[in-house]
Amino acid sequence: MKMPDLGERGNVTGPQPIAQIVEPPAAMRAAAKSLLNTLMRGDRAGVEAMTAEQAREDMGRIANEIKPGKYDKFELIGRGRISRHYFLKARLTGTDAPPFTIQFRLGEDDGKWTVREALNLTERRSGWTK
Amino acid sequence: MQRMIPVDKLARPEDHILLPAQRLRKARGEQGLAPGNAMPYEDDFLKSRMHGICAGEFQAMEAAGRTLYDFPDAPWEFQLDMARQVWDESRHAEIYMKLLEYVGSYYGEFPEGEVLWSCTQAEDPAARVAGINRGLEGLACDVFEQLIRIAQKMGDSTIERSVDYVLADEITHVRMGSKWMRQLTEGDPERLKRAQAFQDGIDDLFNFGGGRTTVEQAGHIKQRVNDKEIEIDASITIAREARLLAGFTEEEIDRLVKGFGKSAAY
Repeated sequence: MKMPDLGERGNVTGPQPIAQIVEPPAAMRAAAKSLLNTLMRGDRAGVEAMTAEQAREDMGRIANEIKPGKYDKFELIGRGRISRHYFLKARLTGTDAPPFTIQFRLGEDDGKWTVREALNLTERRSGWTK
Repeated sequence: MQRMIPVDKLARPEDHILLPAQRLRKARGEQGLAPGNAMPYEDDFLKSRMHGICAGEFQAMEAAGRTLYDFPDAPWEFQLDMARQVWDESRHAEIYMKLLEYVGSYYGEFPEGEVLWSCTQAEDPAARVAGINRGLEGLACDVFEQLIRIAQKMGDSTIERSVDYVLADEITHVRMGSKWMRQLTEGDPERLKRAQAFQDGIDDLFNFGGGRTTVEQAGHIKQRVNDKEIEIDASITIAREARLLAGFTEEEIDRLVKGFGKSAAY
């Protein structure tokens, strides 16, 4: 929940921010989009190539639930970071399919962003739901 | 009426990332960071620390409101204290949201954990206030006292004064917890024992395996904060002076320092 835009900070009386907001890396965003497009296409090998060993089982289950061609749009609806890793929440939509919500974590090694964990949030209230 | 609602009943904006504690720890551990978030060493530690506190203020506001709702038969003065706490915590959440903006962050930049809410799961109002007001708010006294000292080392009076303002309220909340734990269990030592045991569990949980100590005994590390390098405590310390002001006894504080996490009746 961002603070409301107060306009030009320099014109506002009072303390000014002492640091800049960290913008998420463009390569991370690109990797997320590529992953979601790959998932929607039903390209299992492609998804596996973008997933670290530790998350392959979970990601495989998620990929199995997404029928190729069922979804044609995605929306990144949430983002949160822990240091240099990013958690993303995305919703896939299609004309004949109920929305599919997924939360996953991306981390970077040697310039390559891969999925480190993934959670199917469809029909769950949140990532807190046990 | 359902008491002790599960954490996922809490309303949050859809764009927030909500995670169980073990997933937070795993993500931190994989990056070589202290998994328990006791003292993050990453460059952005001030942002993530403020964010964790801000989330804690929201959950504390919800917890006090829930306590008010869950125990309609509790004394009127108890309900008034809980209502007051809701108001206090909402101001704190607002203050920390502004502090987040001040340190170049925003609420939602980091995931929110559920561990604080797990500390509210008590059926008895005496245990509820022992856990929340004495356990969690006692921890808040420690964390805020440390943050004030960090701000002083940074030469940042905005953070120092804002956090000091919030700390004054937290001291009052601990006092309220002590008062109600005593009053609600008067003449019922077994109930008092159960309330204390609930608080002990929370104190143990946040003792980080006995890794906490006093301000005087704490080791120090160098930490970069923006363009400055300052020396800070290597772990979350126990703020004896603030806890004494809040009404904890010397004996209780000594037990915490020794890692026993047992709170004596007083």
